[in-house]
Amino acid sequence: MDTIIRAIVGYFVLLVVVRVLKRRAGSQLTPFEFVLIFLIGGIIILSTVDSDRSVTNCTCAVITVGLLHRVLSWGKARSPKLGAFLDGAPLVVIKNGEWQHEVVDRMMIRPEDVRASARAQGISSLEKVKYAVLERNGGISIIPKES
Amino acid sequence: MAQPFRMPVVDSVPKVADEVAVGEDLKFQRKWWMFERVIWSFFVLVLLCDLLGVFGRGWLAKAKRSTPDQALTLDYERVERSGSPSVMTLRFGPAAAHNGHIQVFVGNEVIRGLGARRISPEPATSALTDGGITYTFDSGSTPTIAEIALQPMFPGKHKIRIQVPGSEPIETSVLVLP
Repeated sequence: MDTIIRAIVGYFVLLVVVRVLKRRAGSQLTPFEFVLIFLIGGIIILSTVDSDRSVTNCTCAVITVGLLHRVLSWGKARSPKLGAFLDGAPLVVIKNGEWQHEVVDRMMIRPEDVRASARAQGISSLEKVKYAVLERNGGISIIPKES
Repeated sequence: MAQPFRMPVVDSVPKVADEVAVGEDLKFQRKWWMFERVIWSFFVLVLLCDLLGVFGRGWLAKAKRSTPDQALTLDYERVERSGSPSVMTLRFGPAAAHNGHIQVFVGNEVIRGLGARRISPEPATSALTDGGITYTFDSGSTPTIAEIALQPMFPGKHKIRIQVPGSEPIETSVLVLP
């Protein structure tokens, strides 16, 4: 019983903390972000299973987290607002070749991030980028200018 | 409920410059940035409270209570954490010693609620009494110190009672956080 409650609390604490971190944790993991993800996960595990490291207890915790994830996924599929709340919404970083400064500043995006995404999509220069979109998973999609 | 795969393949999200279907919602995003500021302020507040000991293990959590005749002084933490070990210190003054012995009554809430694991030094005798345990120590010299190792397992507020016979009891409460 305690484990289930701790798993639920841990899941939502982790969800809020990861959600309010600036987006980039999932799609472009740097060593800097690996440290964060592993350390946070490890700390939450300690409080979730406590001193009871039995297979029964750990199985219950895993099932609880899986069930929560399933319920939230079901909710996201039915409510775009819940989806935006949990995953965020895409944000335009470059629009018609112009930086969108509000988004860039607030999301702490560096030109190098956009440049790396452009290169990954075969675009050699930022000057050739018409639109850059920061996706919900932290990736940056690039739409090039028509040549 | 919308059935996304039974609808025609059309863009249902707003387009940027009437060209790229992104689904950007800056109104929502601005509210979210505001929420982020609030939640990070809250997180900083939580950390400050933790550093000060509001959640136990710090300056604000430490407490000391004494009987008027100084027979017993209790050093304890008014906020404990479930599952975390701590120590409650009992300091006995000269008024606590009678015929070379010191007796102290420790209420059940300390034993059960705060999870008393052991008391040191080893008491000469311990006897179950109404609502707790009475320990008897041989007293060579005063002041004497006894320590009760705690490991609370039950979150909540616990009213504790510790008393040296012939002296006023120390009654206080300890909050155990999950």
